[in-house]
Amino acid sequence: MNLKANSAFFIMLLICVSAFAQESLTLKGQVVDAGDNMPMPGVNVIVAGTNNGTSTNFDGNYEIDAKEGDVLQFTYVGYITQLIPVTTNTTINIALVEDANKLDEVVVIGYGTQKKSQLTTAISKVVNEDLDQIAVPRVDEALVGQVSGVTVAATEGEAGSAPTIRVRGVGSITGKSSPTIVVDGVVVDDDFLGSLDMNEVSSFEVLKDASSTAIYGARGANGVILITTKSGKEGKTRFTYNAFTGFKEARQSDDYYFTVAETAAAELAATGTLSDRTRVKQLIGVDRDWQDVIFDGGTINSHSFSARGGSQNTKFSTSLNYVHDEGVLLTDDYKKYAIRAKVDTKLNDKFSVGLNVSPSYTNRQRFDGSTHDILRQTPWLPLYIDENNIQFVNKLRDNGAYADVQIGDYATQRMFDDFDLETMMPVESGGTDISNTSNTNPAAKVLERDRNDYKFKLFGSFYAKYDISDAFSFKTSLSGDYQNTKRDRWQGVQSNRNGASAAQLDLSTANQIHIVTDNILSFDKSFGNHDLSAIAGFSAEKWDNTFESIQGAGYTSDLVQTISAADPTTVVGESYEFPRRLISYLGRVNYAYDNKYLVSVSMRADGYSAFGENSKYGYFPAASAGWIVSNEDFLNESDVVNNLKVRMSYGTAGNPFFDVGDDQINSFPYLSLLEPSTAVIDGSLVQGFNSLNLANPDLQWERSIEINPGLDFGLFNNAISGSFDYYNRRSDQLLIDNPVSSTTGFSSGLVNIGEVQNSGFEIELRTRNISKEKFRWSTTMLASQNKNELISYGDSNGQIQNVDSKRAAEWINLVGNPISSYYGWVVDRDIPLEYINNPYHPVGGEAQDVYVKDLNGDGVIDDDDKTILGDPYPDLVWSITNDFKLGQFDLSFMFQGSHGAEIRNMGDQYLFNHFNSSQDFNPETTPNQEFIKEKIFTNDIIQDASYVTLRNVNLGFSIPSKLADKLRMSKARLYLSGTNLLYFTASDYTGFNPESINDTSPTTYGYQRAGSPIQQTVTFGLNIEF
Amino acid sequence: MKYIMKTIKMMFLFILGISVSSCEEDYLSPQLETLVNAEIYYTNEEELLTGVINMYDGIQGINSTSSNDYHALQQEFYLTEMRSDNTRTKSSEGEAAQFENYSITATNGIVEDYYRSYYNVIFRANIVLENLDVASSENRDSIEAEAKFVRAYAYFNLVRLYGAIPLVDRIISSAETEISFTRVDPSSIYELIVSDLETAVDGLDNTYKTRASKAAAQTLLAKVYLTQGTNYLQAQLLCEEVMMSGYSLEPNFKDVFFNELNNEIIFAIGYAPDGVDSQNFSAEWLNAVGRTSGVNYTTQDVRDALDMLGGDRTPFSYRVDTDQPTQFQVVKYIPDGDESLGIAPTSSDPTKAGNDWIVLRYADVLLLHVEAIMAGGNSTSAQAALDSFEEVRLRAGLSGDSDGTITKQELMDERRVELAFENHRLFDLIRFGEAQTVLSAFSSANGGSFTASDLLLPIPQREINLSNGALSQNPGY
Repeated sequence: MNLKANSAFFIMLLICVSAFAQESLTLKGQVVDAGDNMPMPGVNVIVAGTNNGTSTNFDGNYEIDAKEGDVLQFTYVGYITQLIPVTTNTTINIALVEDANKLDEVVVIGYGTQKKSQLTTAISKVVNEDLDQIAVPRVDEALVGQVSGVTVAATEGEAGSAPTIRVRGVGSITGKSSPTIVVDGVVVDDDFLGSLDMNEVSSFEVLKDASSTAIYGARGANGVILITTKSGKEGKTRFTYNAFTGFKEARQSDDYYFTVAETAAAELAATGTLSDRTRVKQLIGVDRDWQDVIFDGGTINSHSFSARGGSQNTKFSTSLNYVHDEGVLLTDDYKKYAIRAKVDTKLNDKFSVGLNVSPSYTNRQRFDGSTHDILRQTPWLPLYIDENNIQFVNKLRDNGAYADVQIGDYATQRMFDDFDLETMMPVESGGTDISNTSNTNPAAKVLERDRNDYKFKLFGSFYAKYDISDAFSFKTSLSGDYQNTKRDRWQGVQSNRNGASAAQLDLSTANQIHIVTDNILSFDKSFGNHDLSAIAGFSAEKWDNTFESIQGAGYTSDLVQTISAADPTTVVGESYEFPRRLISYLGRVNYAYDNKYLVSVSMRADGYSAFGENSKYGYFPAASAGWIVSNEDFLNESDVVNNLKVRMSYGTAGNPFFDVGDDQINSFPYLSLLEPSTAVIDGSLVQGFNSLNLANPDLQWERSIEINPGLDFGLFNNAISGSFDYYNRRSDQLLIDNPVSSTTGFSSGLVNIGEVQNSGFEIELRTRNISKEKFRWSTTMLASQNKNELISYGDSNGQIQNVDSKRAAEWINLVGNPISSYYGWVVDRDIPLEYINNPYHPVGGEAQDVYVKDLNGDGVIDDDDKTILGDPYPDLVWSITNDFKLGQFDLSFMFQGSHGAEIRNMGDQYLFNHFNSSQDFNPETTPNQEFIKEKIFTNDIIQDASYVTLRNVNLGFSIPSKLADKLRMSKARLYLSGTNLLYFTASDYTGFNPESINDTSPTTYGYQRAGSPIQQTVTFGLNIEF
Repeated sequence: MKYIMKTIKMMFLFILGISVSSCEEDYLSPQLETLVNAEIYYTNEEELLTGVINMYDGIQGINSTSSNDYHALQQEFYLTEMRSDNTRTKSSEGEAAQFENYSITATNGIVEDYYRSYYNVIFRANIVLENLDVASSENRDSIEAEAKFVRAYAYFNLVRLYGAIPLVDRIISSAETEISFTRVDPSSIYELIVSDLETAVDGLDNTYKTRASKAAAQTLLAKVYLTQGTNYLQAQLLCEEVMMSGYSLEPNFKDVFFNELNNEIIFAIGYAPDGVDSQNFSAEWLNAVGRTSGVNYTTQDVRDALDMLGGDRTPFSYRVDTDQPTQFQVVKYIPDGDESLGIAPTSSDPTKAGNDWIVLRYADVLLLHVEAIMAGGNSTSAQAALDSFEEVRLRAGLSGDSDGTITKQELMDERRVELAFENHRLFDLIRFGEAQTVLSAFSSANGGSFTASDLLLPIPQREINLSNGALSQNPGY
C-alpha cells in the first residue's frame, strides 16, 4: 500500500520543485573552510530577504539564481555568516571562517540549550549523520556504540522488540533502570523509540551525570536521552528520499546443532554397538537442525520522504516513513508507519508559535514461543508427516490415537514410539520408545499461534513564545501523547498437545492519555565579560490509563477467531484504570565569566501522585563548574592545545518508577488496596475482597547522587579531540519490592532501602588522521568502564533468589558485590559417562549433574560451599569507528566490543540433556554421590558473555555533482552496508547471542534460556536530496 | 513574579481538568477508581462478610502455573498423597519427584508455596477477627466462629506438615520478625487450634457445606484430639454428634465425587468450571494434560490394596492410563470425564476443572468414630464401632467385619481404600504410629530413601534466608 502513496507524494514534490525555477542570473561557486581549504557541504546559500535558497553539495559547490543587486547570504553553524552582493560576476567562491564564539555546536540541555564550549556537565551529543542508514527498525537500536557510557543490548531479538538501554550501569533494583526519553522537550514513554523515524531525528543528546539530569528531577536518575527532530530551514524547500532494503539472517550456534549421526558415532565408539533407540531414530531418516526451522531470516525495507524549508518567518518540516522488518525468527514481523508535520512561525518580532504533530502506527507480529523449547527437540523428529515417515507412525498404540494421521500433519514424538525392530513395524506395545516428550511439534506451537501488538500513537506539541525584552522571554507549551495499544493472541487448536480444549483467544486494549504543560521564563544576556542565562518554570503533567481485556477458550476449530465463537462459560474479562500526576518547579542559572570560568546551578522540585502523603515532594539540586584553560593567556597562543576545559559536577536526581507487576499498585503503593475476589459457595460464586499489597505511606523516590570530574580537550587544531570523565553515582533509598516473611500474609512489600554504587571512566577520542581534499580519514574511539557494587541492602542483604522454582539456579544480592551476582557451587569435574543411565538418549548428551568442590573442606557439600560465580555486567565496553572518504566513495565501519560480563546460560541444560532422567547418574554404581549437584546450581552454565563485533560497515558512492545536477538533485548516494557481519564470542560460550538476556527482575538478571539470535544484515540503500 | 507564576500555574492546572479551587494536594492524590482503599473498608457487617468469603478464596488457591502465585489446596496432594505409599509421579521428573523419593530440599517450590498460601489464609482469617466489632450482635459470634474454624483448619495442616511453626494469631507487620521467625512448639499450636475449634463448634450451625459448619468443626476437632492421642472420649462424642446431624453416606460411591454437595459432604472447597474459580490439580493427575507430564499416579501398592479390599470403590478409585497402559491414574476428581464409568466432564477445559475438593465427609467421620473408640489400642469389639465400620463397608458392596473385632490394621486398610487419594493417607499413617514402618518398607522396595525425619517437611529455605538464620531447619534437611 505504502509504495503507491509514496510515489504519489514523490510526483507532487517534483511539481513543486519546478515551480521554484526562475529566470535570472545563475550564480555558481564553491564554499571552502578558510582554515583547511576543505570544501564545505551543506552550507546554506540564500538570496537574503527571499525564500530562494539552496545548499552546497558534497564538493562544496552551489548554484543559485539571483538578480543583480541581490545579496547572497552564506550560513553554516559555527561559522561567521557572509553576505556577498551580486554583481555581474557569476562565479562567487567563498571561504567561511569559524566563529570563535560559535566554535562549537549548541547542545540541548533540557528546557534550553547551551554552547558546547560552556558545558560543565557530562552530555554526549550524537548528530544523525548516517544513523539512518543502519538497517534496524527502531531508533534506539542504532545507538549501539555511539555514546560512551551507554549500553544498548538487543536482549530480545524479535523484530521490533525494545533493546535494553543503560546509562552508566544499573542503578535500581526494583525500579526502572532505563533512561528517560524526551522527544522535542516532552518526556515520553520508552516505547516511543519504537515509533520514531530515524530519518526524522536531528540529534540525540545523552545527559549522563546527575548534574545534567537533575533538571528532569525525579526522572533523571538513570540518565536522559533528548531527541530533537529535524526542523525546516529558511530557503528553498529541500526534499529527501531515503530508502534501504536489507537481508537478514540469524547467527547460529554450532554447539546447538545435535545430530542423530553424531550420537550414533559416539555410542558406537563407546559401547561397540548401537542401541535400539538409536537404530529407530536412524531409520526415520531425519536429522534436522531446528535452528534452520525457527531462524527463517527475512528482509527489512525502509522508505522515508521529507520536505523541509521555509521563509524567514515560517519554517516547516514534513515527513513520511514506512519500515517493514520481517525479523529473523519464524512468524516475527514489524511494520511502522510514521508521519510528522512541524511548523514554526514568527507572528511578529516578539511573538512566535509552533506546532509539532506526529501520528504513528506500528504492527508487531510476535514469535509466540520460546527458542529453547523448540531447540531442545530431538533432531530425528520430522516437521510434518510425509510419504516416507508416515510408515513409522504408530497407528496402534495409545488406543489408536494416531490412526488418522495424514501426510501434512504435524509430527509429534509419541507417534513414533513402540517400533519393533524385528518386524520393522510399529506395534501396539512392547516396541522401542524413542520419544522424550508428549508435547506437540515445536514448530506447531509457533505456527499455530497468532499474536500481534498494534500501537497507534499521536504525539502533539504546541508552543507560544513571547520575547518580553531582548533578555527575557516566556514560553508556554501544551503537549501530550495518546497511545492506544491493542493486543491479540490466538492459540490455535493444533498449538497445544491438549488440542481444542486449549485453544484460546486473548484480546486487550490499553489506552493512555498523557498531557503536560510547561511554562518557562528565560533570561539570556551577555554584558561585558559576563554571559548569564537562567530559566524558571512550572510544569504539570498527568497520565490517565485504562486497560481492558477479555479471554475466551473452548474453540473447536480455527475458523472463527472471535470471542463470540468461544464457549461462553470460558469467557472472562478484566478492566481497570490508573491515573498518575506530577507537578514540578524548576530553575537553572548558567554563568560564564570571560568565557573562562563557568558555573551552573539548578534546582527542581517534583510532586508525584504515587508517593505517600508524607513524601509527595522530592527536591533535586545540582551544581557544576568549569574552567576553560585554553582561553587563558598562557595557552591562547599554543600551537598544540587549542581547547582544554576541566569541569566538575555534582547533582541529585530521582527515579519514581518501579514495577511490582500490577499497574494499580504501581500507582497507589501508599494505600492498602483491596481487589474483588470470589469463592464458590454451595455452587454459586460469591464476592469477597482480598488484600493486594503491603501499603507504605512513606514511600518516595529513589535518589542518586553523582559526582563527575571531567576534561574536554582539542589538540593540533582539533586534529585530536575528546573528553575524559570519571563518575561516581550512588543510588540510595532504592524502591524495592522487598521480600517479607509469608507469615505476614504477603510475600513482599515496597520499601525504600538499599544503596547501589556505579563508578567508572569514560573516554571519547576523535582524530582527523588524514584531511586531504580527495582523501579523508577520521577515527572515533569510545570506551567506558563501569563497576557496580551493592553498598547496603537492609534486611535483604545476602538475599538469595531464583527465577524459576523448578530450575532454581540462584542469585545473591550481597553487600560489597555487584547486584544480581550468580551464586552456587564450583564445578570440580564431570561425571564419567559410564555412570550415566543412558548418555545417548535423547541426544548424544551430557550428564545433568556434575561433581562440585567442597570449598570449606568439611567433607560435605552444603550451602556453605556456595560462592559467587560471576555477574552479568561488563567491565569494559568500547567501539572504534573509522570514516574514510576517497573521491566519490565513502566508507565507515565500527567495531564494538564488551568484556567481562558473564551469562547464566540455562539454554545449555535444556538443550544438552533436556532435564531428562535417562541422563541422570546411576545411583547404584556412581561413586562419591554426596559431591554431585545439578549443573544448573554450579558455574558449569556460567559463561563468558564477552564479544567483539563488526557492528556496522557502510560503503557509499556519491554520484558526481555534475551528474547529480543534471538529474536536478543536490545529492545522490548509493550505499551497501552490513550489521554484525563479524561476531566473535568467548570460547566457552555455547549459545548464539551473548547479549540476549531474559527479562527478569534486576535482582536475578543475566539469565538466558537459549534466547534469540544475533541478526546479521546486508543492506542496499539510497539517499537522494533535491 | 511569584504572583505571575501562581496565576499561570492555576491557569494550566485548569487546562488539565482540575477546578481552580482544588489545591495541589488533591491534584497529587487522584481518585482510586477501580480498587478499594482498605483504610476506609470493613465498616459494616456486609463488608466484613466479604472478608469471610475471601478466606475461602484463599484456601481455593489460584489456578495458574506461575510459581509465585498462591496455589494453596491445589498443590496439597504433593505434600500428602505423594509422600505416602499411595501415589507418585508418572515419569520421576523434576521437583515433584522429590516427594516420592523422600529427597525433598528446603528450596522446593511446592513446599514453599503451601507454607506461604496457608499463612495467607490465616492472615485472611485474622482480618475478619480484627474487624469483628463492626458485626451486628446477632451475627458476631457466628462470624468469629467461622474465621476461627478456617484459622484452625490452616494451622492443623501446617503443624502436621512442618512441625513447630510461627504462631500468628493477629495481623502482624513485616517488622514483627520476632513473631515471623520464632518456631513455636506444636503443643502451643494445638492449644490455639483446639480453642479456635471450640469457639467454632459453639458458634456455627450446619447451613453450609462449602463454608464452615458446626459439623465440620466437630469433625476437625475430633481429628485433632485423635492426632494428639489424648482425648479419645471427647473425639468419640464429637463424632457421634456429627452422626446425629443428618448427614449420610451416598448410596453410590461414585456420586460422592461426581454429585457435588451431596449429603455425605461435611466440608468441601468449592470450584467452578472454566473461570478463575476453577482448579487444575485434577488435570495434573492425567497424562500430560496439565503442566506436568502426570503426577499423583497410583502406586502398585495402593492398587493391590484396592483390588483386595476396595469392593465397589475400586473402579472409581483408579483406572488404566489409556495413553500409557502400564500406568494407572486416579479416578476420583477426574476433570474430563470417563464414558466407560459414566462420568461427565466438569469443564470444557480440563485444566480449568470445576470439581469441588472434599475436605471432610461422612465416611471419614464414621471411621474416625471407630478410631476414637479404639482409643489408641490395637482392636475394638464395641458394637458402636462395628456399626460405623459396617456402614462404610456395606456401601462398598462388602459385608461388615466378619469376626466381630476390628483390628487397627483393618481400620487403617479401610481408611486407605475408602479415602484413597483424598490427602488422608500420610496423616493416617502418622496418627496410627505406623508411618515409620510402612513408609520404610515401601520406600526401600521402590528405591526411595525414607528416614524418620522425612515425616516433616523442611521449613522453606526462603523463610530461613529472610530470618538471617533465626529460623531453624527441621532435622534431616
